Amino acid sequence: MIVLEAKNLTKKFGDFRAVDDISFALQEREILGLLGPNGAGKTTTIQMLLGVLTATSGQVSYFGKDLATHRQEIMEKVNFSSTYTNLPWSLTVKENLTFISYLYDLSDRGAKLSELSEIFNLKQLLNERMQDLSAGQLTRVNLAKAFINSPKVLLLDEPTASLDPDVAMTIRKYLLEQRADFDLSIIITSHNMAEVEELCDRVIIISSGKTIADDTPDNLAKTIELVHVELLIESSLETALSYLNSQSISFAKQGKRLKISVKEREIPKFLQLLMEEKIFYKEISIDKPTLEDFFLQVTAKEIK
Amino acid sequence: MRAHRVKAIVLRYLFLFRRSYDRLTDAFYWPTIDLLVWGLMSAYFQARNPGDTNFMVIIVTGILFWLIVWRGQYEITVNILEDLWNKNLVNIFVSPLSFWEWVTSFIIIGVIKAALSVSFASLIAFLLYKISIFIYGFYLIPYIISLILTGWWIGFLVGGLILRFGTKIQTLAWAFVAVISPFSAIYYPVSVLPQWAQFVAWFIPTTYIFEGARAIVNNGQFDIFPLLLSLLLNIVYLGLSLAFLRTSFNQVLKKGLVKVY
Repeated sequence: MIVLEAKNLTKKFGDFRAVDDISFALQEREILGLLGPNGAGKTTTIQMLLGVLTATSGQVSYFGKDLATHRQEIMEKVNFSSTYTNLPWSLTVKENLTFISYLYDLSDRGAKLSELSEIFNLKQLLNERMQDLSAGQLTRVNLAKAFINSPKVLLLDEPTASLDPDVAMTIRKYLLEQRADFDLSIIITSHNMAEVEELCDRVIIISSGKTIADDTPDNLAKTIELVHVELLIESSLETALSYLNSQSISFAKQGKRLKISVKEREIPKFLQLLMEEKIFYKEISIDKPTLEDFFLQVTAKEIK
Repeated sequence: MRAHRVKAIVLRYLFLFRRSYDRLTDAFYWPTIDLLVWGLMSAYFQARNPGDTNFMVIIVTGILFWLIVWRGQYEITVNILEDLWNKNLVNIFVSPLSFWEWVTSFIIIGVIKAALSVSFASLIAFLLYKISIFIYGFYLIPYIISLILTGWWIGFLVGGLILRFGTKIQTLAWAFVAVISPFSAIYYPVSVLPQWAQFVAWFIPTTYIFEGARAIVNNGQFDIFPLLLSLLLNIVYLGLSLAFLRTSFNQVLKKGLVKVY
């Protein structure tokens, strides 16, 4: 079931097209990563999906209903968290979560606040003012705020930025649990590619306001032909260097370690050739292409 | 319109009110200083001119009435500014909160805080000078309604300007209401104004209230027509200011709520 659909979304600021005719759909229980270099149009897209920025053209609908005409009904089931927006600084965590809770039609506000304080480890912080919290603590409060209405669709802008790795891992685990238990669907932007690979069922890459890729993280990574073969060479390093140069094979040298870029299907042949050239290695590791490699490749092309 | 969402925003500003020394100072400190300075000055002038027994009453009740206008507009504009300073507009408008629920919350918080401020200042005026705002009897109610309506339309007008142009014009939150004060004839009759200023004064709803209040104090006379004219002007201006605020908000949505500060 489609829970969110964006059709031909376009946003122009004067002559500049920040978002250019983007369309996609989010399925129930799907976690969709929205990636792109800085200024690509991710935040502009998310703002339009939330109705806090008017699209120049195009349509956003949730649960089959147009956001423009059913905003209040829709926003009861949608929420948002961003590292880059603030809750009122001079209010305490408890005051902020309390007033936010009244924005939604909740049956038991007290119980919900207790539950979220427990999950996001906020109990000790409830009476602290926002201005006195660390970046990681602020992120946890923002996430608690995003779950206050038990949303069906959640839009997260860099949700684990500034978090310690163990807390970030707990948050990712919580997101996956919420998806499994409550059919939650999520759109997430992140610069942490490992996180996106771990969480997302599908990834859309935006560059210069346009969609340039839309697939699963695995499928996107598989489109990268080159893999990195890392060799530890002890006695025949000079031979190896001259051979790689003579064959115009791309590599990086770090001490006795060589990181060589080779097409995945040519690895056996490449290793055979090394043997024939009497280039002996003590250790070998092969790094399969990742989403990050794909991201770097496609965004580099776009920038060129 | 859902009461719990209006309550959310009212709570947000009440939480701020009790934690902010700036807001507490504005609500209680400055009215007290005004009453002390102007009240003592008027006491001095009245002592020099014992024949004019109403002079001090007009000055002190003028301060209290103007406080209603000032608090009404201040709560709207400064609370809009608070959300801009905190970049909080996105947080509240990604919820089901509607524009009109937001506006209603400003009106409610304005009434609560104007009531607190004016009650406090009235008590101070009574304790210091034995002057009670209740000398206007039943007429006090329509006067207060008209005065707070003036505060609201000024607040929404300035709020709309701040939404359009951002915090770089935030000084208007404190300064704009002062523009109409000379024309409102708070402490003196309209007749002392130059001819052109008198013409302007009759387009300002508060002028009719202060003229009417003086007539009650000086002659014991109450004329309903100026009061109705004041209310009518206020309703027209309030409608226009709300339309302006709404179009300003729509303009902001074209830029994005994240970008307004």
